[in-house]
Amino acid sequence: MNALFCLAVILFILMVVIGGKKGAKSFIALFLNFAVLLLTILIMTDPNANPIILTLIACTFISCINLFFINEINNKTITAFVSTIITLAILLFFIVVVTEKSMIQGFGEEETEELSMFSLYLGVDFVKIGAAMIIMSTIGAIIDVAISIASPMRELYNHNQQVSRKDLFSFGISIGRDILGTNTNTLFFAFFGGYLAMLIWFKDLSYSLGDIVNSKIFSSEMINILCAGIGVALIIPITSWITAYYLDKTREKSH
Amino acid sequence: MNLILNQLNKLTYKQIVMYVLLALCFVSSVIFVNNNYSFYERPIAKVIETKLEDTTKVTDMHNNEDQLFTQQIVAELKNGDKKGELIHLTNQYSASGAYDQEYQVGNELFVWMDTNTNEDGVLTGSIKNVKRDKYVLLVAWIFIFTLLFVGKKQGLFSIVSLAVNAIILSYALDMYVKTSAISLLVACSISAILFTAISLLLVNGFNEKTYSAVIATLVTTFVSLFIAYLVLWLTSEEGLRYEEMQFLTRPPQTVFMAGILVGSLGAVMDVAITMSSSIFGLYEKNNHISIKALKASGMEIGKDVMGTMTNILFFAYISGSIPMLILYMKNGSPLGYTLSMNLSLELARALAGGIGIVLTIPIGLYISIFFVNRKRAKS
Repeated sequence: MNALFCLAVILFILMVVIGGKKGAKSFIALFLNFAVLLLTILIMTDPNANPIILTLIACTFISCINLFFINEINNKTITAFVSTIITLAILLFFIVVVTEKSMIQGFGEEETEELSMFSLYLGVDFVKIGAAMIIMSTIGAIIDVAISIASPMRELYNHNQQVSRKDLFSFGISIGRDILGTNTNTLFFAFFGGYLAMLIWFKDLSYSLGDIVNSKIFSSEMINILCAGIGVALIIPITSWITAYYLDKTREKSH
Repeated sequence: MNLILNQLNKLTYKQIVMYVLLALCFVSSVIFVNNNYSFYERPIAKVIETKLEDTTKVTDMHNNEDQLFTQQIVAELKNGDKKGELIHLTNQYSASGAYDQEYQVGNELFVWMDTNTNEDGVLTGSIKNVKRDKYVLLVAWIFIFTLLFVGKKQGLFSIVSLAVNAIILSYALDMYVKTSAISLLVACSISAILFTAISLLLVNGFNEKTYSAVIATLVTTFVSLFIAYLVLWLTSEEGLRYEEMQFLTRPPQTVFMAGILVGSLGAVMDVAITMSSSIFGLYEKNNHISIKALKASGMEIGKDVMGTMTNILFFAYISGSIPMLILYMKNGSPLGYTLSMNLSLELARALAGGIGIVLTIPIGLYISIFFVNRKRAKS
């Protein structure tokens, strides 16, 4: 039997047993996310498509799946959604500039052996694809932080309708600070796990520190990790501000 | 302006020292990477003039159209015994830039120098690599400033724990690579215990809440690793393609298992501390809360984090393959082959990590309840 299928079945059973209906929904969401990601990559192979715009559209779909499908449409998911999209747009702009300046797009010289049988002149813009890759790798974490801040903020508002906008904002920031450490940790270890083979390989080749830092593979993965951390930190004030603003506005309307 | 002055007056002596130290580190490191040419053995040249010479349209056998450019570069050597001399370089690049790029005035390049100068006495050479250290450093500083600005003390803790974890990992890999006696899984297991203890204790302090999270993390990580190992063994790894690790001179299976261990650790830690803080939080609010109520609330919280946590791992793993997937597809590889060649390991890693995350919910819950019971018995 296929190992992947077997793992997927185990994950599905565990999610349903432990999470019930919500667990099943989360599992379906994983599949939908995979479908969106795959479709985006397929469209990206068209040289006329702009990978940046495609990424933003894909991110919108992915945020919809993870916020509106797993949870439901309400004022906490809506503010989380808006904050996610704004953060991603800011981050994307930053990452495109970084990718272009540091020239980390595409493939490194260490991969040439593997690539020798491929044509590399493909007509698609690898700088933009590289930026898309970095954004996509953090979107899961960004959505997670957004919803983890927006939802207790709404709880606070529901318990105490009189709470000021400034207090709401600082409440959001303080929650964000508490989850900042664990969330960056989650991402870092995920990346470390993924790059383990490469790290061992660098050690085997006994590259000097200078060679490692300047090599395309290592520097692109370093920049990927750092940008992911920046994204996770950036979403905290953005979500807090937008949720506080939104809750304040709905209160004014209801009066 | 008054506002800024007010803010400045509010700063304590300690804070001022911190800010000054930070600014000093920032400035000195930036100056260092922009002038560290003499620390490199390989010659570095800074581009001072570029000229586009030739543009051709190319079409490969899969009908991909691209443009090729040839660029003549004059660059000034920055280190070595030929420092200050000019070197002439030729760069061929494509519009898509999968493996090459256009160079602009100001770029710094590692070069090979030709041993013979040509008849005009002009030094020539070829481009080896780009000097990227200053960009990595700059992004690292932006990362540090963002985390400190948003997270203050907690931001500092996460930067410190990241740095410590990176050093431990690097040291563990060194031990593994240099001494063949230690297996990779053992090296990574020992580091996993250190990672968990350091990350959780650093941020949450020494208390029962942290102890229960540490125990839950370690138990779950090893249980899920065991499940992944069992599945791979029972299915004889059918469907997994290790080709993407073929450059390794070591058994890819072990490296892959160690990758699962390290990769899911962060997510498992996250869920474990969420579970234990909320259970302890509920207990502290109401010391007489029943075990049944704790279980019910714990499961509810678990259900909420399960989906988003598996998503974090999923996207972190899968996204790295995007350029490779595009390369395969544009070279006319069938979709099934492309996916199995490039995604099988990533998917397996994401699924195994997901199993770890879901298992943490009941394991974390019961271990926290055990600690709560103990605390209750004591008081």
